[in-house]
Amino acid sequence: MATLCKVVRSVRNKTLLTTLLTRTRRTEPSGGTFYSTEQPDGEPADIKLRSEPSVSGLKSGFAAAFEQHSDLQQREQTRTRDQTSWTRNESSFASLLRHSPLVQMGPARDQVVVGRVFHVVKDDLYVDFGAKFHCVCKRPTVDPERYQRGTRVRLRLQDLELTSRFLGAATDTTLLEADAVLLGLMDGKEPRTK
Amino acid sequence: MAARVLTKGIGGLCNPRFLAVGCSSHLYATAAQVKSPQTQADVNVTDKILSLPLESKDFFRLSELFTVKDLFDARVHLGHKKGCRNKRMQPYLFGCRLDQDIIDLDLTAEHLQLALNFTAHVAYRGGIILFVSRRRQFGHLVENTASECGEYAHTRYWQGGLLTNAAVHYGPAARLPDLVVFLCTLNNVFQTHVGVRDAAKMNVPTVGVVDSDCDPTLVTYPVPGNDDTPAAVELYCRLFRTTVNRAKDKRRQMELLHGLMAPQSP
Repeated sequence: MATLCKVVRSVRNKTLLTTLLTRTRRTEPSGGTFYSTEQPDGEPADIKLRSEPSVSGLKSGFAAAFEQHSDLQQREQTRTRDQTSWTRNESSFASLLRHSPLVQMGPARDQVVVGRVFHVVKDDLYVDFGAKFHCVCKRPTVDPERYQRGTRVRLRLQDLELTSRFLGAATDTTLLEADAVLLGLMDGKEPRTK
Repeated sequence: MAARVLTKGIGGLCNPRFLAVGCSSHLYATAAQVKSPQTQADVNVTDKILSLPLESKDFFRLSELFTVKDLFDARVHLGHKKGCRNKRMQPYLFGCRLDQDIIDLDLTAEHLQLALNFTAHVAYRGGIILFVSRRRQFGHLVENTASECGEYAHTRYWQGGLLTNAAVHYGPAARLPDLVVFLCTLNNVFQTHVGVRDAAKMNVPTVGVVDSDCDPTLVTYPVPGNDDTPAAVELYCRLFRTTVNRAKDKRRQMELLHGLMAPQSP
């Protein structure tokens, strides 16, 4: 009951309120609650009200609440449909970041990810797995000819960027590469988007 | 390579138009007599063409070229590790997640909008744009971008006085670029590219993509963003190419509209 009132009060929609008021004027004398199954008359009145919807169209109790909420839902849907695609598809950078796979993954150490080979230099495979940098792995001895440009491979990450602070330096020196261990091919499994 | 860079002589902008005027005035008996009122009218129209884009905030509608989601999908928000951070980039960072700096894409979007708008205006006014990047991984991409939009690129070793001593390198009347766009402001030894400082010395405005380990202070229009991932650099190249082409097309359209240029045969 209390939540019902809160929902109705938060909707600053005059027409909805007026329709509610016109609907409930018959059933509810006092201002706080809009729908009430409690009648001063007792049971006979309840029974009367419950049978009334089929006659007069007025509902009470769960039926009325269901109608009111589905009404609200419909209004919300039409409102979102009317908005331009720009405002609807716009989610903030903070939420994009929070739900991104990179952040959801957590610390990169020993995480298994799927990468794609984008460059091959003899025995070196350059694998891009969706982070800032790629990693370079040696071509494995098992099935070496299957590792070509475009192959999807599984990796166990060690580090997203290989950096280290050397003695006497002001900033870290970076190798512009990630570090990962090549586990093997994807083997026909569903490639997950990164 | 150096010769390819700056080979324009004096007076790039005005000459083609006046030449066209001279050719189309075959109706007049003595071209010399009636030349002055026609050129005066031309000057007025040129002024109008040049001043019209300055009246609106986004004349070339560049805000529709990218969204924050596009930047996010191109991994523009990923920075280097905390230890590589340049302290001057701190205002542009959203935060640091597990030692990796994250660049604030809301700020990036604003700065990118400003940078693209400026680039478009320079291209509209017939300015020379020079794309610079010393990242060997993207050298070919940057050169292709420049050639596709009819501008210039320099992705090789930058000799000492290219901008500051252009008269010695290229000849007495060398025209310097009107805008230098850095796809990466660092050189191969992780120091700021000499071109940033030299352009500032020669009063040439610069647009630069600054990563979390770069120094944004001398760049006129810094764009905080990732400069290491191919996806991000391809996005920047695509945006700059689209901007320059759009601006040049708009200029041609305006000139046709005001009857300055004879319409090209289709």
